[in-house]
Amino acid sequence: MTPKNNIIIGIIVALLVVASYNVDANPIEFIEGLPNLAIIVEEMLLVEPKYVPTAIWAMFETIQMAFIGTIVGFAIALPLSMLAARNLNSKFVYAPIRALLAAIRTFPSILWAILFVIMVGLGPFAGVLAIIMYTIGFITKLQYETIETIDSDPMDAVNSIGVSKSQLICYVVIPESASHLLGQLLYMFDYNIRQTSILGLVGAGGIGFYIINYIKFFEYGKAAVFMLVVLVTVLIIDWISVKIRDKYIIKSQHGMKVISK
Amino acid sequence: MTNTTRVNETEILQKNEIMMAKNTHLSSIFTEKIIQMSNVWTSYDSKNFALEEINLSIDRGTNYAIVGESGSGKSTLLKLMNGMMHFSKGTIKIDYVVPNMNDKKFKKMMHTIGYIPQNLGLIKNITVLENTLIGALPRLSKIQSLFKRFPEHEIQEAKRILKLVVLSGKEDRKVYTLSGGEKRRVAIARALMQKPTILLADEIVSELDHVTAHEIMDLIADAQKQMNLTAIMVHHDMKLALEYANRVAVIKKGRKILEIGVEGETIVDFQTGDVSTEEIMEMYADDSKK
Ligand SMILES: Nc1ncnc2c1ncn2[C@@H]1O[C@H](COP(=O)(O)OP(=O)(O)O)[C@@H](O)[C@H]1O
Ligand SMILES: [Mg+2]
Repeated sequence: MTPKNNIIIGIIVALLVVASYNVDANPIEFIEGLPNLAIIVEEMLLVEPKYVPTAIWAMFETIQMAFIGTIVGFAIALPLSMLAARNLNSKFVYAPIRALLAAIRTFPSILWAILFVIMVGLGPFAGVLAIIMYTIGFITKLQYETIETIDSDPMDAVNSIGVSKSQLICYVVIPESASHLLGQLLYMFDYNIRQTSILGLVGAGGIGFYIINYIKFFEYGKAAVFMLVVLVTVLIIDWISVKIRDKYIIKSQHGMKVISK
Repeated sequence: MTNTTRVNETEILQKNEIMMAKNTHLSSIFTEKIIQMSNVWTSYDSKNFALEEINLSIDRGTNYAIVGESGSGKSTLLKLMNGMMHFSKGTIKIDYVVPNMNDKKFKKMMHTIGYIPQNLGLIKNITVLENTLIGALPRLSKIQSLFKRFPEHEIQEAKRILKLVVLSGKEDRKVYTLSGGEKRRVAIARALMQKPTILLADEIVSELDHVTAHEIMDLIADAQKQMNLTAIMVHHDMKLALEYANRVAVIKKGRKILEIGVEGETIVDFQTGDVSTEEIMEMYADDSKK
Protein backbone atom coordinates (compact mmCIF):
# COMPACT_ATOMS: atom_id res chain seq x y z
CA MET A 1 0.00 0.00 0.00
CA THR A 2 1.56 3.25 -1.05
CA PRO A 3 0.62 6.50 0.72
CA LYS A 4 -0.98 7.65 -2.54
CA ASN A 5 -3.34 4.66 -2.49
CA ASN A 6 -4.24 5.36 1.15
CA ILE A 7 -5.19 8.91 0.27
CA ILE A 8 -7.40 7.70 -2.59
CA ILE A 9 -9.13 5.15 -0.34
CA GLY A 10 -9.60 7.83 2.32
CA ILE A 11 -11.21 10.17 -0.19
CA ILE A 12 -13.57 7.44 -1.43
CA VAL A 13 -14.65 6.58 2.15
CA ALA A 14 -15.23 10.28 2.91
CA LEU A 15 -17.33 10.67 -0.25
CA LEU A 16 -19.38 7.61 0.74
CA VAL A 17 -20.18 9.07 4.14
CA VAL A 18 -21.09 12.49 2.75
CA ALA A 19 -23.25 11.04 -0.03
CA SER A 20 -25.04 8.68 2.39
CA TYR A 21 -25.84 11.59 4.67
CA ASN A 22 -27.17 13.61 1.75
CA VAL A 23 -29.53 10.88 0.55
CA ASP A 24 -30.59 9.80 4.06
CA ALA A 25 -29.09 6.35 3.65
CA ASN A 26 -29.28 5.19 7.25
CA PRO A 27 -28.18 1.60 8.00
CA ILE A 28 -30.14 1.63 11.30
CA GLU A 29 -33.40 2.23 9.42
CA PHE A 30 -32.55 -0.74 7.24
CA ILE A 31 -32.14 -3.03 10.24
CA GLU A 32 -35.32 -1.68 11.85
CA GLY A 33 -37.16 -2.38 8.59
CA LEU A 34 -36.15 -6.04 8.43
CA PRO A 35 -39.25 -7.31 10.31
CA ASN A 36 -41.41 -5.71 7.57
CA LEU A 37 -39.54 -7.76 5.00
CA ALA A 38 -40.28 -10.85 7.06
CA ILE A 39 -43.99 -10.07 6.89
CA ILE A 40 -43.88 -9.66 3.11
CA VAL A 41 -41.95 -12.87 2.69
CA GLU A 42 -44.42 -14.69 4.93
CA GLU A 43 -47.35 -13.41 2.87
CA MET A 44 -45.57 -14.23 -0.35
CA LEU A 45 -45.20 -17.81 0.78
CA LEU A 46 -48.96 -18.08 0.52
CA VAL A 47 -48.53 -18.51 -3.23
CA GLU A 48 -51.77 -18.75 -5.13
CA PRO A 49 -51.15 -21.44 -7.78
CA LYS A 50 -54.33 -20.74 -9.71
CA TYR A 51 -52.67 -17.57 -11.02
CA VAL A 52 -49.84 -19.48 -12.68
CA PRO A 53 -51.48 -19.69 -16.16
CA THR A 54 -52.18 -15.94 -16.15
CA ALA A 55 -48.61 -15.27 -15.04
CA ILE A 56 -47.18 -17.47 -17.79
CA TRP A 57 -49.36 -15.76 -20.37
CA ALA A 58 -48.23 -12.32 -19.13
CA MET A 59 -44.63 -13.48 -19.24
CA PHE A 60 -45.13 -14.69 -22.79
CA GLU A 61 -46.38 -11.24 -23.76
CA THR A 62 -43.33 -9.73 -22.05
CA ILE A 63 -40.94 -12.00 -23.95
CA GLN A 64 -42.60 -11.10 -27.26
CA MET A 65 -42.31 -7.40 -26.47
CA ALA A 66 -38.63 -7.81 -25.60
CA PHE A 67 -38.09 -9.91 -28.73
CA ILE A 68 -39.60 -7.34 -31.12
CA GLY A 69 -37.86 -4.48 -29.32
CA THR A 70 -34.48 -6.19 -29.43
CA ILE A 71 -34.60 -7.32 -33.07
CA VAL A 72 -35.98 -4.07 -34.47
CA GLY A 73 -33.67 -2.01 -32.26
CA PHE A 74 -30.67 -4.05 -33.36
CA ALA A 75 -31.61 -3.73 -37.04
CA ILE A 76 -31.88 0.05 -36.76
CA ALA A 77 -28.73 0.28 -34.62
CA LEU A 78 -26.39 -1.59 -36.98
CA PRO A 79 -26.36 0.93 -39.86
CA LEU A 80 -26.15 3.77 -37.35
CA SER A 81 -23.11 2.09 -35.79
CA MET A 82 -21.46 1.78 -39.20
CA LEU A 83 -21.83 5.55 -39.53
CA ALA A 84 -20.58 6.16 -35.97
CA ALA A 85 -17.41 4.08 -36.29
CA ARG A 86 -14.35 6.27 -36.50
CA ASN A 87 -12.39 3.82 -38.63
CA LEU A 88 -15.01 3.87 -41.40
CA ASN A 89 -16.06 7.52 -41.59
CA SER A 90 -14.83 11.06 -41.56
CA LYS A 91 -15.37 13.29 -38.56
CA PHE A 92 -18.24 15.08 -40.29
CA VAL A 93 -20.21 11.85 -40.40
CA TYR A 94 -19.42 10.15 -37.10
CA ALA A 95 -19.46 13.22 -34.85
CA PRO A 96 -23.15 14.20 -35.37
CA ILE A 97 -24.29 10.56 -35.33
CA ARG A 98 -22.48 9.98 -32.05
CA ALA A 99 -24.03 13.09 -30.53
CA LEU A 100 -27.50 11.86 -31.54
CA LEU A 101 -26.85 8.42 -30.09
CA ALA A 102 -25.51 9.90 -26.86
CA ALA A 103 -28.72 11.91 -26.54
CA ILE A 104 -30.85 8.78 -27.06
CA ARG A 105 -28.76 6.98 -24.45
CA THR A 106 -29.46 9.52 -21.72
CA PHE A 107 -33.09 8.29 -21.40
CA PRO A 108 -33.68 5.18 -19.28
CA SER A 109 -36.26 2.78 -20.73
CA ILE A 110 -38.91 3.78 -18.19
CA LEU A 111 -38.78 7.40 -19.42
CA TRP A 112 -39.13 6.28 -23.01
CA ALA A 113 -42.12 4.19 -21.88
CA ILE A 114 -43.82 7.20 -20.27
CA LEU A 115 -43.20 9.23 -23.42
CA PHE A 116 -44.69 6.54 -25.68
CA VAL A 117 -47.66 5.92 -23.37
CA ILE A 118 -48.47 9.60 -23.87
CA MET A 119 -47.94 9.23 -27.61
CA VAL A 120 -49.68 5.94 -28.47
CA GLY A 121 -51.67 5.22 -25.30
CA LEU A 122 -51.47 2.54 -22.62
CA GLY A 123 -50.47 -1.01 -23.58
CA PRO A 124 -47.67 -3.18 -24.88
CA PHE A 125 -47.03 -1.17 -28.05
CA ALA A 126 -45.73 1.75 -26.00
CA GLY A 127 -43.47 -0.73 -24.21
CA VAL A 128 -42.16 -2.14 -27.48
CA LEU A 129 -41.33 1.36 -28.75
CA ALA A 130 -39.56 2.13 -25.47
CA ILE A 131 -37.45 -1.03 -25.76
CA ILE A 132 -36.56 -0.20 -29.36
CA MET A 133 -35.32 3.25 -28.41
CA TYR A 134 -33.42 2.00 -25.40
CA THR A 135 -31.84 -0.80 -27.46
CA ILE A 136 -30.71 1.64 -30.15
CA GLY A 137 -29.04 3.91 -27.60
CA PHE A 138 -27.40 1.11 -25.68
CA ILE A 139 -26.33 -1.35 -28.37
CA THR A 140 -24.90 1.17 -30.85
CA LYS A 141 -22.20 2.03 -28.33
CA LEU A 142 -21.25 -1.63 -28.03
CA GLN A 143 -21.43 -2.08 -31.79
CA TYR A 144 -19.29 0.85 -32.88
CA GLU A 145 -16.73 0.09 -30.22
CA THR A 146 -16.54 -3.46 -31.56
CA ILE A 147 -16.23 -2.21 -35.14
CA GLU A 148 -13.44 0.15 -34.13
CA THR A 149 -11.43 -2.65 -32.56
CA ILE A 150 -11.55 -5.07 -35.48
CA ASP A 151 -8.20 -6.08 -36.86
CA SER A 152 -6.84 -3.48 -39.27
CA ASP A 153 -5.02 -6.11 -41.33
CA PRO A 154 -8.01 -7.56 -43.21
CA MET A 155 -9.40 -4.03 -43.56
CA ASP A 156 -6.17 -2.82 -45.16
CA ALA A 157 -5.82 -5.89 -47.33
CA VAL A 158 -9.36 -5.66 -48.72
CA ASN A 159 -9.30 -1.86 -48.94
CA SER A 160 -6.16 -2.08 -51.04
CA ILE A 161 -8.14 -4.02 -53.68
CA GLY A 162 -10.08 -0.80 -54.21
CA VAL A 163 -13.50 -2.07 -53.09
CA SER A 164 -16.44 0.19 -52.22
CA LYS A 165 -17.36 1.01 -48.64
CA SER A 166 -20.51 -1.13 -48.74
CA GLN A 167 -18.40 -4.06 -49.92
CA LEU A 168 -15.93 -3.45 -47.11
CA ILE A 169 -18.80 -3.53 -44.61
CA CYS A 170 -20.44 -6.66 -46.08
CA TYR A 171 -17.28 -8.67 -46.58
CA VAL A 172 -14.94 -7.57 -43.80
CA VAL A 173 -16.57 -5.52 -41.06
CA ILE A 174 -19.60 -7.76 -40.48
CA PRO A 175 -17.83 -11.14 -40.74
CA GLU A 176 -14.99 -9.93 -38.53
CA SER A 177 -17.32 -8.65 -35.82
CA ALA A 178 -20.16 -11.18 -36.27
CA SER A 179 -19.45 -13.18 -33.13
CA HIS A 180 -19.30 -10.06 -30.98
CA LEU A 181 -22.47 -8.68 -32.56
CA LEU A 182 -24.29 -11.94 -31.88
CA GLY A 183 -23.07 -11.90 -28.28
CA GLN A 184 -24.35 -8.34 -27.88
CA LEU A 185 -27.70 -9.29 -29.38
CA LEU A 186 -28.11 -12.13 -26.86
CA TYR A 187 -27.06 -9.93 -23.99
CA MET A 188 -29.48 -7.23 -25.09
CA PHE A 189 -32.38 -9.69 -25.34
CA ASP A 190 -31.61 -11.04 -21.89
CA TYR A 191 -31.41 -7.50 -20.51
CA ASN A 192 -34.56 -6.37 -22.33
CA ILE A 193 -36.65 -9.18 -20.80
CA ARG A 194 -35.76 -7.89 -17.35
CA GLN A 195 -36.48 -4.32 -18.42
CA THR A 196 -39.77 -5.15 -20.09
CA SER A 197 -40.84 -6.85 -16.88
CA ILE A 198 -40.98 -3.49 -15.13
CA LEU A 199 -42.41 -1.32 -17.93
CA GLY A 200 -45.88 -2.28 -16.69
CA LEU A 201 -45.22 0.13 -13.84
CA VAL A 202 -46.09 3.01 -16.17
CA GLY A 203 -48.78 1.11 -18.06
CA ALA A 204 -46.64 0.05 -21.00
CA GLY A 205 -47.72 -3.62 -20.91
CA GLY A 206 -45.99 -6.77 -19.84
CA ILE A 207 -45.92 -8.75 -16.64
CA GLY A 208 -44.90 -5.78 -14.50
CA PHE A 209 -48.42 -4.41 -14.81
CA TYR A 210 -49.76 -7.33 -12.75
CA ILE A 211 -46.93 -7.22 -10.22
CA ILE A 212 -47.30 -3.52 -9.49
CA ASN A 213 -51.07 -3.77 -9.12
CA TYR A 214 -51.01 -6.72 -6.72
CA ILE A 215 -48.34 -5.01 -4.64
CA LYS A 216 -50.42 -1.84 -4.53
CA PHE A 217 -53.29 -3.82 -3.03
CA PHE A 218 -51.01 -5.74 -0.65
CA GLU A 219 -51.73 -9.04 -2.38
CA TYR A 220 -48.20 -10.33 -2.01
CA GLY A 221 -49.18 -13.95 -2.55
CA LYS A 222 -50.42 -13.19 -6.06
CA ALA A 223 -47.50 -10.88 -6.82
CA ALA A 224 -45.17 -13.67 -5.75
CA VAL A 225 -46.51 -16.00 -8.47
CA PHE A 226 -45.70 -13.45 -11.14
CA MET A 227 -42.29 -12.67 -9.68
CA LEU A 228 -41.44 -16.37 -9.56
CA VAL A 229 -42.35 -16.73 -13.22
CA VAL A 230 -40.04 -13.81 -14.07
CA LEU A 231 -37.24 -15.40 -12.06
CA VAL A 232 -37.59 -18.80 -13.72
CA THR A 233 -37.83 -17.27 -17.19
CA VAL A 234 -34.72 -15.16 -16.70
CA LEU A 235 -32.81 -18.21 -15.51
CA ILE A 236 -33.92 -20.25 -18.53
CA ILE A 237 -33.02 -17.47 -20.99
CA ASP A 238 -29.67 -17.10 -19.26
CA TRP A 239 -28.99 -20.80 -19.62
CA ILE A 240 -29.99 -20.79 -23.31
CA SER A 241 -27.77 -17.83 -24.10
CA VAL A 242 -24.80 -19.52 -22.44
CA LYS A 243 -25.42 -22.53 -24.70
CA ILE A 244 -25.66 -20.39 -27.84
CA ARG A 245 -22.57 -18.48 -26.80
CA ASP A 246 -20.57 -21.69 -26.37
CA LYS A 247 -21.75 -23.10 -29.64
CA TYR A 248 -21.35 -20.13 -31.95
CA ILE A 249 -19.37 -17.39 -30.33
CA ILE A 250 -16.51 -18.83 -28.33
CA LYS A 251 -15.83 -21.36 -31.05
CA SER A 252 -15.61 -18.78 -33.79
CA GLN A 253 -13.50 -16.45 -31.70
CA HIS A 254 -10.87 -18.92 -30.66
CA GLY A 255 -11.33 -21.60 -33.25
CA MET A 256 -11.83 -24.23 -30.60
CA LYS A 257 -14.45 -26.77 -29.78
CA VAL A 258 -16.37 -26.24 -26.60
CA ILE A 259 -17.36 -29.50 -25.02
CA SER A 260 -20.65 -29.04 -23.25
CA LYS A 261 -21.15 -31.22 -20.22
CA MET B 1 26.50 -28.55 -42.01
CA THR B 2 28.89 -26.31 -43.95
CA ASN B 3 28.85 -28.83 -46.76
CA THR B 4 25.12 -28.76 -47.24
CA THR B 5 25.18 -24.98 -47.18
CA ARG B 6 27.73 -24.96 -49.95
CA VAL B 7 25.70 -27.36 -52.06
CA ASN B 8 22.69 -25.15 -51.59
CA GLU B 9 24.64 -22.12 -52.63
CA THR B 10 25.72 -23.62 -55.93
CA GLU B 11 22.16 -24.75 -56.50
CA ILE B 12 21.00 -21.23 -55.87
CA LEU B 13 23.51 -19.77 -58.26
CA GLN B 14 22.49 -22.24 -60.96
CA LYS B 15 18.85 -21.44 -60.44
CA ASN B 16 19.63 -17.76 -60.62
CA GLU B 17 21.54 -18.24 -63.81
CA ILE B 18 18.49 -19.84 -65.37
CA MET B 19 16.22 -17.11 -64.05
CA MET B 20 18.53 -14.39 -65.27
CA ALA B 21 18.61 -15.97 -68.71
CA LYS B 22 14.84 -15.95 -68.74
CA ASN B 23 14.87 -12.41 -67.55
CA THR B 24 17.17 -11.23 -70.33
CA HIS B 25 14.81 -12.88 -72.75
CA LEU B 26 11.84 -11.14 -71.17
CA SER B 27 13.52 -7.80 -70.86
CA SER B 28 14.32 -7.80 -74.56
CA ILE B 29 10.56 -7.74 -75.11
CA PHE B 30 9.49 -5.63 -72.15
CA THR B 31 12.03 -3.08 -71.09
CA GLU B 32 9.07 -1.28 -69.65
CA LYS B 33 9.29 0.08 -66.10
CA ILE B 34 6.16 -0.81 -64.21
CA ILE B 35 7.16 1.00 -61.03
CA GLN B 36 9.23 4.14 -60.79
CA MET B 37 10.13 6.11 -57.71
CA SER B 38 12.42 9.05 -57.62
CA ASN B 39 13.55 10.92 -54.55
CA VAL B 40 10.60 9.74 -52.46
CA TRP B 41 10.29 10.76 -48.82
CA THR B 42 7.54 9.67 -46.48
CA SER B 43 6.70 9.81 -42.78
CA TYR B 44 4.07 8.62 -40.29
CA ASP B 45 4.54 11.61 -38.02
CA SER B 46 5.90 15.08 -38.61
CA LYS B 47 9.24 14.34 -36.88
CA ASN B 48 10.87 11.30 -38.47
CA PHE B 49 10.97 10.13 -42.03
CA ALA B 50 10.18 6.42 -42.39
CA LEU B 51 11.74 6.50 -45.88
CA GLU B 52 14.22 8.98 -47.28
CA GLU B 53 15.41 9.69 -50.79
CA ILE B 54 14.15 6.45 -52.34
CA ASN B 55 14.99 5.89 -55.98
CA LEU B 56 14.05 2.69 -57.72
CA SER B 57 12.61 1.32 -60.92
CA ILE B 58 11.20 -2.12 -61.51
CA ASP B 59 10.93 -3.91 -64.84
CA ARG B 60 7.60 -5.42 -65.80
CA GLY B 61 7.43 -9.16 -65.26
CA THR B 62 10.38 -9.41 -62.91
CA ASN B 63 10.71 -10.51 -59.31
CA TYR B 64 11.99 -7.70 -57.14
CA ALA B 65 12.98 -8.33 -53.54
CA ILE B 66 13.28 -5.87 -50.69
CA VAL B 67 15.48 -6.93 -47.79
CA GLY B 68 16.39 -5.17 -44.57
CA GLU B 69 16.38 -5.27 -40.81
CA SER B 70 13.14 -5.02 -38.93
CA GLY B 71 11.95 -1.40 -38.72
CA SER B 72 14.02 -0.34 -41.72
CA GLY B 73 10.96 0.66 -43.76
CA LYS B 74 10.27 -2.36 -45.97
CA SER B 75 6.53 -2.54 -45.27
CA THR B 76 6.24 1.20 -45.73
CA LEU B 77 7.89 0.95 -49.13
CA LEU B 78 5.40 -1.72 -50.17
CA LYS B 79 2.46 0.41 -48.98
CA LEU B 80 3.69 3.26 -51.16
CA MET B 81 3.25 0.99 -54.16
CA ASN B 82 -0.46 0.32 -53.63
CA GLY B 83 -1.45 3.81 -52.57
CA MET B 84 -2.11 2.88 -48.94
CA MET B 85 0.63 5.23 -47.79
CA HIS B 86 0.99 8.91 -48.60
CA PHE B 87 4.32 10.40 -49.55
CA SER B 88 5.46 13.90 -48.82
CA LYS B 89 8.10 14.40 -51.45
CA GLY B 90 9.24 12.98 -54.78
CA THR B 91 7.40 11.20 -57.59
CA ILE B 92 5.91 7.73 -57.85
CA LYS B 93 4.45 6.15 -60.98
CA ILE B 94 2.73 2.79 -60.86
CA ASP B 95 2.17 1.71 -64.45
CA TYR B 96 2.39 5.42 -65.32
CA VAL B 97 -0.26 6.42 -62.78
CA VAL B 98 0.42 8.40 -59.60
CA PRO B 99 -0.83 6.37 -56.61
CA ASN B 100 -3.69 8.18 -54.90
CA MET B 101 -6.69 6.41 -53.39
CA ASN B 102 -9.00 9.31 -54.19
CA ASP B 103 -8.17 9.26 -57.87
CA LYS B 104 -10.61 7.21 -59.99
CA LYS B 105 -7.93 6.07 -62.38
CA PHE B 106 -5.70 4.78 -59.61
CA LYS B 107 -8.60 3.19 -57.75
CA LYS B 108 -9.27 1.16 -60.86
CA MET B 109 -5.63 0.17 -60.96
CA MET B 110 -5.85 -1.01 -57.34
CA HIS B 111 -8.15 -3.78 -58.57
CA THR B 112 -5.14 -5.33 -60.27
CA ILE B 113 -2.58 -4.85 -57.51
CA GLY B 114 -2.55 -7.87 -55.24
CA TYR B 115 -1.35 -6.98 -51.77
CA ILE B 116 -0.56 -9.53 -49.07
CA PRO B 117 0.20 -7.71 -45.81
CA GLN B 118 2.60 -9.04 -43.19
CA ASN B 119 -0.19 -10.71 -41.21
CA LEU B 120 -1.97 -11.81 -44.41
CA GLY B 121 -5.22 -9.93 -43.72
CA LEU B 122 -7.46 -12.95 -44.11
CA ILE B 123 -10.91 -13.07 -42.57
CA LYS B 124 -10.57 -15.90 -40.11
CA ASN B 125 -14.11 -17.06 -39.52
CA ILE B 126 -15.19 -17.40 -43.14
CA THR B 127 -14.17 -20.15 -45.56
CA VAL B 128 -11.19 -20.50 -47.88
CA LEU B 129 -13.45 -20.09 -50.93
CA GLU B 130 -15.15 -16.98 -49.51
CA ASN B 131 -11.78 -15.41 -48.76
CA THR B 132 -10.60 -16.15 -52.29
CA LEU B 133 -13.74 -14.68 -53.86
CA ILE B 134 -13.04 -11.33 -52.17
CA GLY B 135 -10.43 -10.83 -54.90
CA ALA B 136 -13.28 -10.74 -57.44
CA LEU B 137 -15.30 -8.02 -55.64
CA PRO B 138 -14.34 -5.20 -58.03
CA ARG B 139 -15.86 -7.20 -60.90
CA LEU B 140 -19.25 -7.60 -59.19
CA SER B 141 -22.28 -5.39 -59.72
CA LYS B 142 -23.77 -3.53 -56.75
CA ILE B 143 -26.68 -5.97 -56.45
CA GLN B 144 -24.47 -9.03 -56.76
CA SER B 145 -22.11 -7.86 -54.06
CA LEU B 146 -24.88 -6.75 -51.71
CA PHE B 147 -26.54 -10.17 -51.84
CA LYS B 148 -23.24 -12.06 -51.94
CA ARG B 149 -24.19 -13.57 -55.30
CA PHE B 150 -20.99 -14.44 -57.11
CA PRO B 151 -21.49 -15.47 -60.76
CA GLU B 152 -20.82 -19.13 -61.46
CA HIS B 153 -17.75 -18.39 -63.63
CA GLU B 154 -16.13 -16.49 -60.74
CA ILE B 155 -16.72 -19.43 -58.40
CA GLN B 156 -15.17 -21.75 -60.99
CA GLU B 157 -12.23 -19.37 -61.36
CA ALA B 158 -11.74 -19.31 -57.58
CA LYS B 159 -11.74 -23.13 -57.51
CA ARG B 160 -9.22 -23.22 -60.35
CA ILE B 161 -6.91 -20.87 -58.47
CA LEU B 162 -7.33 -22.84 -55.25
CA LYS B 163 -6.24 -25.91 -57.20
CA LEU B 164 -3.22 -23.98 -58.45
CA VAL B 165 -2.20 -23.12 -54.89
CA VAL B 166 -2.80 -26.75 -53.85
CA LEU B 167 -5.83 -26.12 -51.68
CA SER B 168 -8.34 -28.29 -53.54
CA GLY B 169 -10.67 -30.06 -51.13
CA LYS B 170 -10.19 -27.36 -48.49
CA GLU B 171 -12.53 -24.81 -50.12
CA ASP B 172 -15.09 -25.02 -47.32
CA ARG B 173 -12.67 -24.98 -44.39
CA LYS B 174 -12.77 -21.97 -42.08
CA VAL B 175 -9.48 -20.09 -42.32
CA TYR B 176 -8.76 -20.35 -38.59
CA THR B 177 -8.50 -24.12 -38.94
CA LEU B 178 -5.61 -23.91 -41.45
CA SER B 179 -1.87 -24.22 -40.93
CA GLY B 180 0.48 -21.26 -41.45
CA GLY B 181 1.50 -22.48 -44.90
CA GLU B 182 -2.10 -23.06 -45.96
CA LYS B 183 -3.13 -19.59 -44.78
CA ARG B 184 -0.42 -18.10 -46.97
CA ARG B 185 -1.78 -20.06 -49.94
CA VAL B 186 -5.24 -18.58 -49.31
CA ALA B 187 -3.78 -15.08 -49.26
CA ILE B 188 -2.02 -15.81 -52.57
CA ALA B 189 -5.26 -17.19 -54.02
CA ARG B 190 -7.16 -14.03 -53.04
CA ALA B 191 -4.49 -11.89 -54.71
CA LEU B 192 -4.45 -14.04 -57.89
CA MET B 193 -8.25 -13.85 -58.02
CA GLN B 194 -7.79 -10.13 -58.67
CA LYS B 195 -6.17 -11.04 -62.02
CA PRO B 196 -3.27 -8.89 -60.91
CA THR B 197 -0.48 -7.30 -62.88
CA ILE B 198 1.48 -6.56 -59.71
CA LEU B 199 1.79 -8.75 -56.64
CA LEU B 200 3.06 -7.20 -53.41
CA ALA B 201 3.89 -9.62 -50.60
CA ASP B 202 5.19 -8.60 -47.19
CA GLU B 203 7.41 -11.24 -45.54
CA ILE B 204 5.10 -13.97 -46.74
CA VAL B 205 7.54 -16.79 -46.00
CA SER B 206 9.45 -15.32 -43.05
CA GLU B 207 7.88 -17.47 -40.35
CA LEU B 208 7.80 -20.69 -42.34
CA ASP B 209 10.16 -23.64 -42.23
CA HIS B 210 12.66 -24.07 -45.06
CA VAL B 211 10.63 -26.60 -47.08
CA THR B 212 7.30 -24.79 -46.84
CA ALA B 213 8.94 -21.45 -47.62
CA HIS B 214 10.33 -22.89 -50.85
CA GLU B 215 6.99 -24.45 -51.78
CA ILE B 216 5.32 -21.05 -51.43
CA MET B 217 8.05 -19.25 -53.35
CA ASP B 218 7.92 -21.82 -56.16
CA LEU B 219 4.18 -21.35 -56.33
CA ILE B 220 4.56 -17.61 -56.77
CA ALA B 221 7.27 -18.14 -59.39
CA ASP B 222 4.89 -20.45 -61.31
CA ALA B 223 2.02 -17.97 -61.12
CA GLN B 224 4.39 -15.26 -62.28
CA LYS B 225 5.32 -17.22 -65.37
CA GLN B 226 1.68 -17.93 -66.23
CA MET B 227 0.39 -14.41 -65.76
CA ASN B 228 3.33 -12.16 -66.66
CA LEU B 229 3.11 -10.86 -63.12
CA THR B 230 5.49 -8.39 -61.54
CA ALA B 231 6.21 -9.61 -58.02
CA ILE B 232 7.62 -7.31 -55.37
CA MET B 233 8.38 -9.22 -52.22
CA VAL B 234 9.73 -8.19 -48.87
CA HIS B 235 12.03 -10.78 -47.35
CA HIS B 236 13.83 -11.17 -44.10
CA ASP B 237 16.29 -13.68 -45.49
CA MET B 238 18.86 -12.42 -48.02
CA LYS B 239 19.66 -15.93 -49.20
CA LEU B 240 16.07 -16.66 -50.10
CA ALA B 241 15.76 -13.29 -51.81
CA LEU B 242 18.82 -13.97 -53.98
CA GLU B 243 17.49 -17.40 -54.81
CA TYR B 244 14.29 -16.14 -56.41
CA ALA B 245 14.64 -12.48 -57.26
CA ASN B 246 16.09 -10.79 -60.31
CA ARG B 247 16.95 -7.79 -58.22
CA VAL B 248 17.35 -7.25 -54.50
CA ALA B 249 17.14 -3.85 -52.86
CA VAL B 250 18.57 -3.49 -49.38
CA ILE B 251 16.94 -0.96 -47.07
CA LYS B 252 18.60 0.35 -43.95
CA LYS B 253 17.13 2.95 -41.61
CA GLY B 254 14.75 4.23 -44.28
CA ARG B 255 17.33 4.48 -47.02
CA LYS B 256 18.01 2.22 -49.94
CA ILE B 257 21.66 1.41 -49.42
CA LEU B 258 22.15 -0.85 -52.40
CA GLU B 259 20.56 -2.77 -55.20
CA ILE B 260 21.97 -6.02 -56.47
CA GLY B 261 21.21 -8.72 -58.97
CA VAL B 262 22.77 -12.03 -59.84
CA GLU B 263 24.32 -12.63 -63.25
CA GLY B 264 25.91 -16.00 -63.68
CA GLU B 265 28.19 -16.57 -60.73
CA THR B 266 28.70 -12.97 -59.79
CA ILE B 267 26.55 -10.65 -57.82
CA VAL B 268 26.26 -7.36 -59.59
CA ASP B 269 26.00 -4.08 -57.79
CA PHE B 270 23.52 -1.98 -59.72
CA GLN B 271 23.61 0.99 -57.47
CA THR B 272 27.18 2.20 -57.45
CA GLY B 273 27.21 3.49 -53.94
CA ASP B 274 28.96 3.30 -50.61
CA VAL B 275 28.71 -0.46 -50.34
CA SER B 276 31.15 -2.71 -52.15
CA THR B 277 30.46 -6.12 -53.60
CA GLU B 278 32.65 -7.64 -50.90
CA GLU B 279 30.36 -6.24 -48.25
CA ILE B 280 27.36 -7.66 -50.06
CA MET B 281 28.97 -11.06 -50.10
CA GLU B 282 29.64 -10.70 -46.40
CA MET B 283 26.00 -9.96 -45.71
CA TYR B 284 25.03 -12.89 -47.84
CA ALA B 285 27.38 -15.16 -45.91
CA ASP B 286 26.04 -13.82 -42.62
CA ASP B 287 22.50 -14.63 -43.54
CA SER B 288 23.20 -18.12 -44.79
CA LYS B 289 24.84 -19.00 -41.47
CA LYS B 290 21.54 -18.54 -39.64
N1 LIG C 1 1.46 3.00 -38.41
C1 LIG C 1 2.63 3.53 -38.04
N2 LIG C 1 2.66 4.67 -37.28
C2 LIG C 1 3.83 5.23 -36.93
N3 LIG C 1 5.03 4.74 -37.25
C3 LIG C 1 5.07 3.62 -37.99
C4 LIG C 1 3.88 2.95 -38.42
N4 LIG C 1 4.23 1.86 -39.13
C5 LIG C 1 5.58 1.84 -39.14
N5 LIG C 1 6.09 2.89 -38.46
C6 LIG C 1 7.53 3.21 -38.29
O1 LIG C 1 8.13 3.34 -39.56
C7 LIG C 1 9.38 2.69 -39.60
C8 LIG C 1 9.39 1.64 -40.69
O2 LIG C 1 8.46 0.64 -40.39
P1 LIG C 1 8.15 -0.59 -41.35
O3 LIG C 1 8.01 -0.11 -42.73
O4 LIG C 1 7.00 -1.34 -40.79
O5 LIG C 1 9.49 -1.46 -41.20
P2 LIG C 1 9.77 -2.95 -41.62
O6 LIG C 1 8.63 -3.46 -42.42
O7 LIG C 1 11.06 -2.88 -42.38
O8 LIG C 1 9.96 -3.72 -40.35
C9 LIG C 1 9.61 2.11 -38.21
O9 LIG C 1 10.43 3.00 -37.50
C10 LIG C 1 8.24 2.05 -37.60
O10 LIG C 1 8.31 2.23 -36.21
MG1 LIG D 1 7.39 -4.99 -42.01
